[in-house]
This record gives sequence, C-alpha cells and structure tokens, in this order.
Amino acid sequence: MNIDVEKLAFKFFVSEKIDKNSEYYCGTRDIFQARLDKMISFLLAKDNLKEDDIYIISAITGEIGNNSFDHNIGSWVGEMGIFFAYSFDNNKFKVVLADAGQGVYSTLKKVKPEIKNDIEALKVAFNERISGRASESRGNGLKFVKSNIKDRGMHLKFISGKAKVELNKIEKIEEIIETYQGCIAIINL
Amino acid sequence: MKIELKKFGEILISRPSGREAYLAMKAYLLKGLANEEKIEIDFNGVKVMAPSWADEVLTKIVHDYKNVKLLNTGNASVQATLKTLKEFSDFNN
Repeated sequence: MNIDVEKLAFKFFVSEKIDKNSEYYCGTRDIFQARLDKMISFLLAKDNLKEDDIYIISAITGEIGNNSFDHNIGSWVGEMGIFFAYSFDNNKFKVVLADAGQGVYSTLKKVKPEIKNDIEALKVAFNERISGRASESRGNGLKFVKSNIKDRGMHLKFISGKAKVELNKIEKIEEIIETYQGCIAIINL
Repeated sequence: MKIELKKFGEILISRPSGREAYLAMKAYLLKGLANEEKIEIDFNGVKVMAPSWADEVLTKIVHDYKNVKLLNTGNASVQATLKTLKEFSDFNN
C-alpha cells in the first residue's frame, strides 16, 4: 500500500503530539542530509529515473530542506526541524518537505518591509535576488529551484501562510483558504 | 593547485558544510598562495551540488583568486548550480 506522504506532511506539525521518532522527521540538518543521501542511493538503485533528473531533484530537495534550517535557526514558531518524505506511485516520484517555521513572508518583510502579504512574499522569493539573511549575500536557492523545475518538466507546489505557488512551465501564485504555518513543498517528477 | 571537490563529499548541498569546506581549503590547500596563482577546481566524482554549498566555496575562491579553472563540470546539478551562481551571485568565471 502506498502511503500518502503529502497528506502526512500537512498533518505532521499541527498534531497535538509530534512523532519525533517518525522516519520522516528530521530534527537537525545532519539527519536531513543523511536521509537525503539515502534517497539518492534509493533512486540510483531503482533505475526508474534519468540519472541527471535524480541529481537535479536531489539538489532542489537539498535547497528547500536546508532553507528551512537556514531561515528558522533560533526562530522556529512550532517544533524545530523538518518533515521529509518521498514516494513512488504509478512510476511518478514525489518529494514532500514541510516545516513549522516563520514562513516566507515573516522572513522577507524584515529585509523588504514593503512586502505586504504572503502572495507578494512568494513572488519576491521566487523571482528577485534577495536574501532573508541580510547582510549575508544569499538568495539564489529558490531561483535555482524555479529554473530547474521548469527546465526538467517537474512540478512544484509551495505553500507558505495563505499563499501557494504552482510551478512548472508557468508560475501561478494565488491565495489559499487555509493558512499553513511555515512552508510546505511538494515536488513531482 | 588542484582542489578535488570529491574529497569534500559526493553530495554538496548546505551552506554550513560549504563554509566548513572553504575554511578547510583556506587552512590546508590555499594557504600562502598568491592571488594570481592558478587554481584548478575539479568536480569529478561530485554527484549532487546545490548553489548554497557552491556559493560558500566557489564564489569566494573566484573572488580571492584571479586564475581559477573549473574541470569536469559535466554533472547536471553542477551545470545548473554554476548557471545559478552566474545569474544570482557574484560569481564571474
């Protein structure tokens, strides 16, 4: 039976008691890195995907997962750490990452106060050269994600607060009804 | 001087590990080298590279040294990362 990892991700950080023994919970960056290494070995051994696509989706996953740690260290709103899971269903590969951090809007409005809401924050995050950790020179990760999702024919759904971006060949950003505290990313290949 | 990135790992993705790699390079591999010295960075054996790691290493080396040559950059994630650094970071090589 295939587990619906997307559904699990949405529930994970809002549970009354978070399962810290879950195989999907990465409390620290080191645990995330180890599980990402395992995902790469799993995909290379499975031989269903092109090798180049495996390396690219792993780099995208690494960027998004590490962003959660980079931007929430010392400022987690909910439980520290990330949810990280992946699945194969009907030969479609899916990666899901989630955190209960500050979210994109809270992070970016500190360096660009004119950003007014979650939608504007996602537009800026995926399109402008900006770092949530000024004065450090950063801010290329989500541009890398966007470019490679488009070039490789993948699909990304990224939710933060009350906004959602859907990316493949085109980019669509819209308001959603339910708020998600932090960020959640679903990558399909 | 030739820097073999595979000696820092096959999966090079996070900023903290990139920062650590750069500090190790400065202490052990690049120490005492003049800024016009030829530096070869060899990507052979790297499976996954992400811009966060690369920005902490490559952008700084290219900033510090004038004669940097990149070798064996064929891996898809290496190519994609170099493209991103050229577009969004101060990486001019």
